[in-house]
Amino acid sequence: MKLIGIYKRFGAVEALKGVNFEIARGEVVGLVGDNGAGKSTLAKIMVGFYQPDRGEIYFEGKKVRFKSPREARKRGIEIVYQDLALVEDLNIYRNLFLGREKTRKLGFLKLLDKKTMKNEAFKLLREIGINVRTPDDIVKYLSGGERQSIAIARAVRFGAKLLILDEPTAALSIRESEKVLEYIKELKSKGISVVVISHNVYHVYSVADRFVVLDRGVKIADIEKKYVSPEDVIDIIARRKTLKDLGLQDMTRE
Amino acid sequence: MTSELGAGKDIIRKILRLREFGVFVSLIVMMSVFAYLSNKFLTAETMASVLTIAAELGIVTLGVAFLMIAGEFDLSVGSVYAITAMTVALLVKNGVSPALAVFTALALATAIGFTNGIITLKTAIPSFITTLGMNMFLRGLLLAITGGFTVSYPGGYELTMVFAQRFFGDFRLSGLWFLGAAIIFYIVLDWTAYGNWVFAVGGNPTAAHALGINVHRVKLINFMISAFMAGLAGIIHLARFRVVEAVAGRELPLEAIAAAVIGGCSLRGGVGSIIGASLGAFLVGMVRVGLVLAGAPAYWYITFIGVILIVAAIINTKVVRA
Repeated sequence: MKLIGIYKRFGAVEALKGVNFEIARGEVVGLVGDNGAGKSTLAKIMVGFYQPDRGEIYFEGKKVRFKSPREARKRGIEIVYQDLALVEDLNIYRNLFLGREKTRKLGFLKLLDKKTMKNEAFKLLREIGINVRTPDDIVKYLSGGERQSIAIARAVRFGAKLLILDEPTAALSIRESEKVLEYIKELKSKGISVVVISHNVYHVYSVADRFVVLDRGVKIADIEKKYVSPEDVIDIIARRKTLKDLGLQDMTRE
Repeated sequence: MTSELGAGKDIIRKILRLREFGVFVSLIVMMSVFAYLSNKFLTAETMASVLTIAAELGIVTLGVAFLMIAGEFDLSVGSVYAITAMTVALLVKNGVSPALAVFTALALATAIGFTNGIITLKTAIPSFITTLGMNMFLRGLLLAITGGFTVSYPGGYELTMVFAQRFFGDFRLSGLWFLGAAIIFYIVLDWTAYGNWVFAVGGNPTAAHALGINVHRVKLINFMISAFMAGLAGIIHLARFRVVEAVAGRELPLEAIAAAVIGGCSLRGGVGSIIGASLGAFLVGMVRVGLVLAGAPAYWYITFIGVILIVAAIINTKVVRA
């Protein structure tokens, strides 16, 4: 996916001021920056939640314009929000199939095929290493890590090619974070591209191939991980250093 | 041995997590109390009158509960109930056939629901306010048109034959309408994709939207369903009494919400059960009839409902979630 010269304004606030962004197949990009940098706005533009005021979006080489998240999803672009992804009062399988329920016909009625959904949910849970007694369990009773993994698994299950994770580890314990990060590496090996949004560089450092740093709606750095330490990235975010100070060149191809 | 114990615990856990647990306990307790107070209580005759009272409230409650699960309120059901019945009566009085009058009145009710929904969703003000205002607006209109007088139904017995005729002892057709509607609502909520969306829209609208569910459309449809059901109940009321008072259904909005909450619906949306809400309405009807049989003054009815509402709500939040 490639975004060129993206502008987005909300009333008096200019959230994005001409941002370029690129991610290759099977690449994991850490999208970092301080609060209000424009990370979430950029992500929401990628998934069609917002439309850019100006700028172009290309996906798999073709120019696209998503009017809604539904359109982006049809192309295989999925987003998993922190905390917002699952409906807590619904059980696991109803969450997993939300919006794409499996049905079978009974006369003129289209009824939920609960059995198939439960079986598939059970398999999926085992694959991602979550031990629950039954997919009938209400999501509310699961741990934060389990919920995050289920939300990611749902996106992958429905054919995500580009996955955007919004603060996937912010609310998790260290052990749970590691599980989720492990899972992200697995996705990468399957050729899925992942954008991980975080304001904690250490959380994404182990999985990211590249970092894109935003600051007040402007991209201030785009650099492969092998050239920078987590501390360097933090210095860039805090504007204590620039890539030039570090003797590095920006990766952005204009 | 331990596994048997585990299985037993599992079953208890499952029962405790049932959304209908609170209303079920209340129902059994109240039934025992009334059976103890009056030996006429556990008879088919009494159950028939409970069902008759429960039917009109229950039909309203189904729509209200369905909307509540989607995260919105409808306080206008009382006025919609009255205005629909009034519309049928007035249309028939002016020579319109009963069938056409019923269709027109139900279309009007649905249009009111549509208006409730559009105002709520386009302006983002709480539906509590929209429908409260609508309730007042319609009630005032009703009082102005009728001058506060009762309007009687001038037609033949077609309406009664369809909606409220006694068909088996004291059991009335309205009970079957309630039962049929409850079954349809249950199937839609628990066994269709749309039902899943209703839960999602009420429980977490942001997640529902992100997954491509049209949140506004689901809510709008449910606003219309709620008003439609209130209208249907109003017509049954007219078919049963053959008159409609300008103040008919004044207590209905809060009674319906009470029945839904007793039945396990959450005021915050996303949680609820059609079986529970139906039992809730049945419980309310039972208390009304039971008190009469016990020889208590009718005023006590609302006191009882108040206590049951609070107790059932406590069971639903403290026990069911444990």
